[in-house]
Amino acid sequence: MQPYIISLLNNQRDAVLEQWKKELELVRTNNYLTSISDDVYENMNQEFMRFIISQVTTEQEEAKGHLSSFAEKYIQAGWPLSYFTQGLQAFRRVLLAFLSESESDVQALLSTFSDLEEWIDGIINQLVHDYTGNWEDIIEMQKLSLLELSAPLIPVIEDVTVMPLIGTIDTARAKLIMENLLEGVIEHRSQVVLIDITGVPVVDTMVAHHIIQASEAVRLVGATCILVGIRPEIAQTIVNLGIDLSKFPTKSTLKKGIETALELTNKKMIDL
Amino acid sequence: MKTQSCVEVKNEWGIVAARQAGRSLSKEIGFGSVDQARITTAISELSRNIYLYAKRGEICLEVVEKPSKIGVKKGLRIIAQDQGPGIPDIRQVMVDGFTTSGGMGAGLPGVKRLMDEFTIDSEAGEGTVIKATKWLR
Amino acid sequence: MRIPILKLHQYLLISIQVELDDQTALQFQEDLLNKIHNEGSLGVVIDLTSVDMIDSFIAKVLGDVVDMSSLMGAKVVLTGIQPAVAITLIDMGIKLDDVQTALDLEQGLTKLQQELEG
Repeated sequence: MQPYIISLLNNQRDAVLEQWKKELELVRTNNYLTSISDDVYENMNQEFMRFIISQVTTEQEEAKGHLSSFAEKYIQAGWPLSYFTQGLQAFRRVLLAFLSESESDVQALLSTFSDLEEWIDGIINQLVHDYTGNWEDIIEMQKLSLLELSAPLIPVIEDVTVMPLIGTIDTARAKLIMENLLEGVIEHRSQVVLIDITGVPVVDTMVAHHIIQASEAVRLVGATCILVGIRPEIAQTIVNLGIDLSKFPTKSTLKKGIETALELTNKKMIDL
Repeated sequence: MKTQSCVEVKNEWGIVAARQAGRSLSKEIGFGSVDQARITTAISELSRNIYLYAKRGEICLEVVEKPSKIGVKKGLRIIAQDQGPGIPDIRQVMVDGFTTSGGMGAGLPGVKRLMDEFTIDSEAGEGTVIKATKWLR
Repeated sequence: MRIPILKLHQYLLISIQVELDDQTALQFQEDLLNKIHNEGSLGVVIDLTSVDMIDSFIAKVLGDVVDMSSLMGAKVVLTGIQPAVAITLIDMGIKLDDVQTALDLEQGLTKLQQELEG
């Protein structure tokens, strides 16, 4: 960091901070942060400004470490990234204004400014990097937990297995479900599989397509698929979308499905 | 890292050899049984096309990598190339059920669905290059 | 290379254990039809448990075998199609719509018996 900036910050710190604070207030209105109480916002500004000023005088490597822990703290707190990026841009504007007042030599001004630019860009880049890294982690984790939701296969009686589907079905999940389903059919030697879609909120053409494909694959490995748990609104959407499920046995409830499955496997329930 | 191995396809045995190479390479990379079957089937389709339409050509297999959040993602790329008559209308061959050989017409559109990435480059009289990649999940 | 075809009463049993190349597949088609003709078989079970790949060509040969056999009065059941193979066929858009299937050889035979004996 150029000694010039350090001395500027030392000599005129209050004036710079005063100006920067005004700019930060503007950032607040652009950022949906208006719902945050004045006190909290004020504290945040103080903290942010103190931190940036402290970065100026710290060794580069050490400063990097500080920045990471600073970022982590506010990522956890859910503070928006744009507050920091816009805040830093404001800081740069303020400093430039001060520099151009006190420095008349254009060449010197430019070189100081490019140093300043590089420094602030470095901080912004690192903040963006930390924030996006965190987002990617979250997305990755949510993907994994969604996959863990994936359908279990429950053998209910000999030759008959039930697979309850819960939640939205996307392509990745559909593929996994299909693999589980087929492996399970072989493992349990099931002749009939009941796919229960009671817990599937929406059945659009894509979901229907996945279900049709799954039941066709089940037929190829040598078992029969019955689709159960078709709620009235699902029946309506299926017909309105023109999806042809006529080739597959369907039943409104799991209970009726099990009755059909018993028939297919030559079994009967009797009261004792 | 880029290792490539090629199998010449000029008769039916070339088809078998190509898919055996694909089967062992996909197993080595760590693909599950379903993806192994997808890759082997795709190779079978592509090599049969070479044999049927271009008489001879080659199937090359390579291990490819791309950066991802969890480090490096591995994949397998099939490159099917020949100096045959080429494909006059690519859009037409990508339609399900279109066939000039009396087959099922599931070949090329099928390969596209089996794999994650699929490109086709063909010029009439010059030959055809088809690249198809499957990424490890 | 030839795929062995076993006779059991009025049925024919085939278990495909080799890597199917085109020639073997076509040879099998011919052999099976001849055997049906000679033995007057009523049912055929083709077990595919050891087959780890079915491409569109082999699928077509199998589908044709089923249609041809049924023309000659023999019902065909395919058994033991592996999950990976089933998924690949579905991905390819090959449905084998008019083909009967069963989990394994035993269930395949049971299915044939049920259909033939009512």
